[in-house]
Amino acid sequence: MPGMTITEKIIARNSGRKRVTPGELVWANVHTVMTMDYLGAQTFAKLHELGVREVFDRRRVICVSDHLVPPPNEKFATMLNEWRRLVREHHIVHFYDLGNQGIAHQIMVEKGHVLPGTISIGTDSHANTYGAVGALGNAVGVTDAAVAMAIGKCWLRVPESVQFIVRGEWHPYVMAKDLSLYVMGMMRWNGHLIYKAIEYTGEGIARLDMAGRMTLCNMTVDLGAKNGIIAPDNVTRKYLRGRTTERYVALQSDPDANYEQVYELDLNKIGPMVARPHRLDDVVPIEEVEGIPFNKAFVGTCTNGRVEDLAIMARILKGKRIHPDVNMLVVPASQSVYLEAMKKGYLATLVEAGAAIDTPSCAACAGIHTGVAGDGDVILSAGNRNMQGRMGSKKAEIYLSSPAVVAASALYGKITDPRRLSLS
Amino acid sequence: MKITGKCWVASGYVMAYDIITQPFWTSPIDLKENARWVMAGVSEEFNRENGFASQGYTFIVAGHNFAGGGKSIEHVITGLMGAGIKAVFADSFARLQFRNAINYGLPFVTCKDIAKGCHTGDQLEWDSETGVIRNLTNGKVFQAVPLAPFVIEIAQAGGLMNFIRKRIAEGTISDLH
Repeated sequence: MPGMTITEKIIARNSGRKRVTPGELVWANVHTVMTMDYLGAQTFAKLHELGVREVFDRRRVICVSDHLVPPPNEKFATMLNEWRRLVREHHIVHFYDLGNQGIAHQIMVEKGHVLPGTISIGTDSHANTYGAVGALGNAVGVTDAAVAMAIGKCWLRVPESVQFIVRGEWHPYVMAKDLSLYVMGMMRWNGHLIYKAIEYTGEGIARLDMAGRMTLCNMTVDLGAKNGIIAPDNVTRKYLRGRTTERYVALQSDPDANYEQVYELDLNKIGPMVARPHRLDDVVPIEEVEGIPFNKAFVGTCTNGRVEDLAIMARILKGKRIHPDVNMLVVPASQSVYLEAMKKGYLATLVEAGAAIDTPSCAACAGIHTGVAGDGDVILSAGNRNMQGRMGSKKAEIYLSSPAVVAASALYGKITDPRRLSLS
Repeated sequence: MKITGKCWVASGYVMAYDIITQPFWTSPIDLKENARWVMAGVSEEFNRENGFASQGYTFIVAGHNFAGGGKSIEHVITGLMGAGIKAVFADSFARLQFRNAINYGLPFVTCKDIAKGCHTGDQLEWDSETGVIRNLTNGKVFQAVPLAPFVIEIAQAGGLMNFIRKRIAEGTISDLH
């Protein structure tokens, strides 16, 4: 009998089985369930429809305000009030509301609510982010979340695993985002990665910090995958120290585990990548889009709003001014990120360069909060999606790239390869 | 069981965002309500009240990654159900909405290359037990992937909510494994 992949082991372990095989359907125990302000009221409504008034564990249902805070209009303010009432009614222990807020996926990882070897689900699609610490992170609808809040379980189909072995050296100013976009361009939405467990491994991943791992796992949902995962190592252990007191099991894939496909990627061949407007799988090397002018720059989101992202931007923008035709909005992914970036001086550098900093939230990423796109806008964004209308107007165009590309490009008002900058 | 009806065929990716557009993401989850503006972002033709629902389609036929783009909103499924859709046939489905479809009992049926053999308005006949889809308009026959037993079980219970509610009432919820 062949060995198991890390994803299979996690599902087996949490469903009381010795082993599972792809295609099998199981009911598995969830470690935590996340819901947030935007869909939280719907989730609690479904819970009540089940006839259940108490969640399975008040410490394992994590509630986060991220899409609507601070409310820009009456509708959101009223939704938030209802949301807060429901969270209080259920005596939820971990509630991250304005003042202590952040984008839910950042909060889940940063506050130690996801652990290696366990399953966590959330009502927002980028729950795949949790794979960065070796957890199975899965996005679900409000019905699944309500069921898990009631009984502590969810049904899962065991996915086939696909392995990406990442070798070679990271080019300067090439980030995990570029690797994500590269894989997107390589695989496209052709069905090959739909439902799959994507496992990133190899020396290129071993060298990646937790911020980069979160970016990589985050965007596996946009590849169509069920989950993205990186097996825990010393980077993981170090990251989790001080974030959790719970014991965890650092599961690893067996050497003889079965993969549906194995792809080998050479970082020496991967430079900055850009996804062109309206299609996330329309990805090209930056050389093909260099010089394209834009008027808005945006860095934030659960994909690229972390301290390390702001650090590289500060390095690029230090002592410089962004182009007068560019509006740049920077939104740290959480209050902790905000504070750390402030203490390290990154925010001061960005403000001196002419960027505006906003309170941690999902901001304009989903087109419903601060910094939305209007007609005719051309946006260079370090976010995760660029479908027509994603950030607001359908008459806007969104290019996606890494924070380094956004920062370098903002200096010139046109898409610019950060490797061209002479940095002192 | 055999179901017969008229199909609408997608010409490119159909994104969840376009099936239910942003102003309706926080609407109550309700078949009739969500059907009013379902598919409004997919085509100008459907961008009016009941624009899609009034067309009388029974099936949707699509290529890869149907309902992709990664929204977890269940209105996508309830909207299609409310508009009278009985099954969606596609090369592949985005997993979030595939999951939601199972939870609501709307069959998302995987069928290779079906979009290449159908035109909007064709009459199709789907045999849910064998997975055979016949295009009654042009005579073409497709073999779809049959529904998994778990999917049928949830559908027969009337969706995951009813499935769970019943087990909670019976005291058999801890048997799930």
